[in-house]
Amino acid sequence: MPGLGLSAGITLTMLSLVVLLPIGALLWQGANFGLSNIWATVNRPRVWAALYLSFRLSLFAAIFNLIFGVLLAWVLVRYRFPGRRFLDAAVDLPFALPTAVAGIALTALYAPNGVLGGFARDWIAPIGNAVFGPFGAQFSGKIAYTQIGIFIALVFVGLPFVARTVQPVIEEIEREVEEASATLGAGRLYTIRRVILPMLSPAALTGFALALARAVGEYGSVIFIAGNIPMLTEIAPLLIVIQLEEFNYDAAAAIGIAMLVISFAMLLAINLIQIWSRRRIGHV
Amino acid sequence: MAPQAQAQSLLNVSYDPTREFYREYNAAFAAHWESLGKDRASIETSHGGSGAQARSVIDGLNAQVVTLALASDIDRIAEAGKLPEDWQSKLPHNSSPYTSTIVFLVREGNPRDITDWGDLIAEGVQVITPNPKTSGGARWNYLAAWAWAEKNGQEPQEFVGQLFKNVPVLDSGARGSTTTFAQRGIGDVLLAWENEAYLALKELGEDQFDIIVPSVSVLAEPPVALVESNIADDAQRELANEYLDYLYSPEAQALAFKHFYRAWDTSAAAPEDVERFPEVELVDIEHFGGWKQVQDEHFGDGGIFDQIYVPQ
Repeated sequence: MPGLGLSAGITLTMLSLVVLLPIGALLWQGANFGLSNIWATVNRPRVWAALYLSFRLSLFAAIFNLIFGVLLAWVLVRYRFPGRRFLDAAVDLPFALPTAVAGIALTALYAPNGVLGGFARDWIAPIGNAVFGPFGAQFSGKIAYTQIGIFIALVFVGLPFVARTVQPVIEEIEREVEEASATLGAGRLYTIRRVILPMLSPAALTGFALALARAVGEYGSVIFIAGNIPMLTEIAPLLIVIQLEEFNYDAAAAIGIAMLVISFAMLLAINLIQIWSRRRIGHV
Repeated sequence: MAPQAQAQSLLNVSYDPTREFYREYNAAFAAHWESLGKDRASIETSHGGSGAQARSVIDGLNAQVVTLALASDIDRIAEAGKLPEDWQSKLPHNSSPYTSTIVFLVREGNPRDITDWGDLIAEGVQVITPNPKTSGGARWNYLAAWAWAEKNGQEPQEFVGQLFKNVPVLDSGARGSTTTFAQRGIGDVLLAWENEAYLALKELGEDQFDIIVPSVSVLAEPPVALVESNIADDAQRELANEYLDYLYSPEAQALAFKHFYRAWDTSAAAPEDVERFPEVELVDIEHFGGWKQVQDEHFGDGGIFDQIYVPQ
């Protein structure tokens, strides 16, 4: 590639300034604080509860986005219907909207006096409890200010990632591939499982990782709908903000580093899955 | 006197619920400044959570004047060396040109019959307050409840703990809590700054909410200060000093009353703005040992507030 030296130099400098330096500064703050102090800050029930909540709900939201993002992309690419272009453009809205605005809008919608919140309380909860009541937990019908609300906000902010990463891949898959599979005697489900999904999985996993990463760090949209009750609906990024509010930069950095380490471990695991699936499939 | 080379400018870094007050005050001050024969000055005000605003100034936001919710936030700026440690003695009334207190906002007709702090721990009553860890105003809420318990023979720590067990949503700031209570219809009672409560009444309809004044509350003193190290020259110092001094003038005090603050000088205020405020037994921060002690004991890491949420 011509100008490799120059372009690589510019890219690496920019990457360092924009990404590596802030993370370096965070680690530097943590290094000054000391490993044992970091551990003491993180190793408290309330911090563990927040970290567990953030990562668990982010994982659920990313899985939801993985499934529905792939379906959405498939529908948008393969079918022609009125309003398709509009829908296609709407997928990017969560990117364009300030997250706090999204949070306030979602809260207005899912609060008990909101349209969907009221519907859930008056219809879904009674019916659900009548049907499933004997089998387990009762659903009170509350969405905003519960973990369900947090989940919805995280789904909202992460949805475009999966849809947008798999869309170009689906466009590449020619219909002849499916037809060939059919003429060789494969049923629809078998074709999806053995032909389509293997081709989609690397892109879908990338989208999954992006959606997961975004959800873990999400703050603006979640704090409005979460209720922020310690041990119940308090997300880890809020704990960091709380520490900053107390001018406690070291403790904030400690929780930040804990999140960084867990995120890094999760992304590494996803990468390993990607490598494994690529080996198994043998192409792409 | 030689004409000044350029228009003087001033940045006032303030906290959230003073938005409406300073909008009017800045206009009044600009007129006052020109009436002194000075050149037009450009005055900007920035709003946000009090602690976050303090942090911006510590981290280098070029504010000449800070008007924050808590003295401890300005103390932090002083610790960073931006203004002298004895800042609070420089202006009258602990450098607080106006004060406020904490009251209850309940739904029209007061259906849960809430009259004082003791009613807030009843079974099933939902209390809305912002998070004391992120909101200056919420720290006053907490302290007011504490003071009431002390004066009424209750174990304060236990009382405050029970109160927060009745809180279903902890927003990060005062405006967020007002929205949760007023717009989302959550909760039976909102613990609010008195000025926020009146503002909510004015903006959202007097037929929807009532204000209940408890028997004991706190004297919240939101102080103001000149940020010494951000003053560029003598002309700007003069402007900044006048900006703060003028807050104590009868005209500005009348504006503070109009915006539902309890100010000091009633001489120019509209009588109905003054009469609005009933007498309350007010406890000040010194009663709790000053902000430094309160911050460590109650709101610091592992402090009394954190213990409320430790699993039993």
